[in-house]
Amino acid sequence: MHTGAIDPPGIVWQRVSPKYVTVRLVEWALGNVVAVLLLSLPLVFVLLGWWIWPPLWLAVAVPAGMLVVAVWRLVLIPRQVRAIGYAERDDDLLIRTGIFFQRTMAVPYGRMQYVDIGVGPVERGLGLCTLKLHTASPGTNARIPGLPAAEGARLREQLAARGEARLAGL
Amino acid sequence: MTADGRIPGPGGPANAPLPAASPPPAAGQLAPDGEWLRVHPASPFVRGWLALVAIGFFFGRDIFERSLQGRPVFEEGLAGRAPFLLAGGGTVLLLTVLGFVLTWYFTKYQVSGGYVRVNTGFLFRQQRQARLDRVQAIDIVQPLLARIFGLAELRFEVADAGESAVRLAYLKIDEARQLRATILARAAGVDLGPEGAGEAAPEAPELPVLAVPPSRLVGSLLLSEQSFFVALGAVVSVVLSAVTDNQGFYLYLIPAALGLAASYWNLFNKGYNFTAAISPDGIRLRYGLLDTQAQTLPPGRIQALKITQPPLWRPFGWYRMQVNVAGYGLAENAGEGTSRTTLLPVGKLEDVMGMLALVLPDPGTDQPAAVFGAGLTGLDSEGGFVTTPRRARLLAPLGWRRNGFTATGTALLIRSGRWWRELVVVPHQRTQSMALHQGPLARRFGVADLVLHTTAGPVTPRLAQADSHEALALFDAQSARARLARKRQTTEQWLRQVAPAGIEPQPGAVEPAPGAVEPAPAAAEPGPVVQPAESPAHDQQEGRQHG
Repeated sequence: MHTGAIDPPGIVWQRVSPKYVTVRLVEWALGNVVAVLLLSLPLVFVLLGWWIWPPLWLAVAVPAGMLVVAVWRLVLIPRQVRAIGYAERDDDLLIRTGIFFQRTMAVPYGRMQYVDIGVGPVERGLGLCTLKLHTASPGTNARIPGLPAAEGARLREQLAARGEARLAGL
Repeated sequence: MTADGRIPGPGGPANAPLPAASPPPAAGQLAPDGEWLRVHPASPFVRGWLALVAIGFFFGRDIFERSLQGRPVFEEGLAGRAPFLLAGGGTVLLLTVLGFVLTWYFTKYQVSGGYVRVNTGFLFRQQRQARLDRVQAIDIVQPLLARIFGLAELRFEVADAGESAVRLAYLKIDEARQLRATILARAAGVDLGPEGAGEAAPEAPELPVLAVPPSRLVGSLLLSEQSFFVALGAVVSVVLSAVTDNQGFYLYLIPAALGLAASYWNLFNKGYNFTAAISPDGIRLRYGLLDTQAQTLPPGRIQALKITQPPLWRPFGWYRMQVNVAGYGLAENAGEGTSRTTLLPVGKLEDVMGMLALVLPDPGTDQPAAVFGAGLTGLDSEGGFVTTPRRARLLAPLGWRRNGFTATGTALLIRSGRWWRELVVVPHQRTQSMALHQGPLARRFGVADLVLHTTAGPVTPRLAQADSHEALALFDAQSARARLARKRQTTEQWLRQVAPAGIEPQPGAVEPAPGAVEPAPAAAEPGPVVQPAESPAHDQQEGRQHG
């Protein structure tokens, strides 16, 4: 269980489903594999002799660099997913994300305007959902991805009930 | 914005007035409660004058040029078809005018029972209603042409951050003022009583607080950041021209100068004759040279506030104040957004302190001058500020002694910027949510950033490079303070708030209006009271809709 220096002490974090790694892997594949393939096209053209520019070393270096970055991201995914956590406190919901760039956010129940649950195609296959909280501030970017569907529904009801009890104006 | 499907026919008031005892129209031009009113008949023309002028210009220029050149106004081939052309043009004009008239006829508004309702459109009808006590701001705007005709536009803002909830364009200026007073009085929860329900609410008295002299405005514009880059650009162009013997660089100056002149003119036009006043309804801001605007910000509607000082203003001790107001959002159209969110375009220290006293009637500290003064100009720990630790000075070589925060009983103060000085004030009860951020570099130095989320606007409160433990402590403490402050603030109707923390900045400075500041009697009074006691559940529902 990962907790960083900026997490409030004594919090028991709820972790998201490990199956969320799969969702991230699919997203990763869609983004990075396509990017690497596209960047490899000049290399193919140069090897086939169709293009004279760029030189061979550049044609190799660019997709290779992209590949390294992509693999690096791939290796990070399981740790990033493990780093996502949330905790229901008495008056606010805590959400933490990130390993290198850590973020810990507190959203008071009374400030929530509405709660979204979104399910993508991959998530649906795995029985997961993404919960999103909205306050009056556009800066509140509070989402908890990779929740099991039942937990997501429970959390939504819980948040709605608590928000009702503590609702404040703007 | 609910539409209940009932569309009033063009004939008259379809939505019944308040059921019980709507008295006959009182003296004066204010209509009784619930009557549907129309905007001024001339308003579509005032709004559509640009189209009319464009049509006129299009045809007129050709004729003018031809007559100047001594050619016949119509060429021979054209002369035969002139009647058809004239008929076509006339039809277009007639249709335009008819459209204007229909738009005017089907635009109706009503203020009753705690709501303002507006119906617009004749093909695609729209009914809109907004709760009066959700008002975030009311503006009266007078573009030049409307001003010539003595008309004004009234804008009613709710926490949508998009377009204005209600725009009534145009009313007679007196009517607009009267309507504003009525809306504000009802939004505040002033109880006019059964017999007074149809009467005009008295306009709340005002006390002028400050005015910005034009000379200072001009000075501030000349010494703004923009001017700095203008001067830099001009010098670079001239030097390049001289060095390269290429006169072409001078040419760049012409469009740049035109654009800048327009920009400066816009700022001058918007900022001219800026005055601020306080009334029980809130803060009144007035400004404008050709187009004038009067904003009313009811108490407690300011979500966050920023005081900045560019380096060139420092010798003169000038400051600029900007605010986040939920209804204004970020609207960047034609510089309007920036002027509406400006609380003080340029002011001296005492002006700033005066405005702070209006926005934050209770500073939450014994020595407001010392604390806020340290926030504006101070360094290190004076005024109780906690700054970036010395070990992290490499991350902010200039600003580390300045980056800091302090919390008073009512607000959090975040200051930053050694050259571009900045102080952000966020009232505790206005914090929406918060986040701590820490990147790898910041972790090496043991610092973290704290971001407070407020509504959209020019102010984005961010405490940079605070010690990790301090930031964490503040994160917890601020949650607790915001929670307490939220509990204390109970209702949107500011005159009904139990706590006296409210509307008078300096005790005794404002003479309360006779009918306007009496705390309402028991809210459960029967009859057509303006704002009946609302059930908490109803309030909550609204809360989720409008914020």
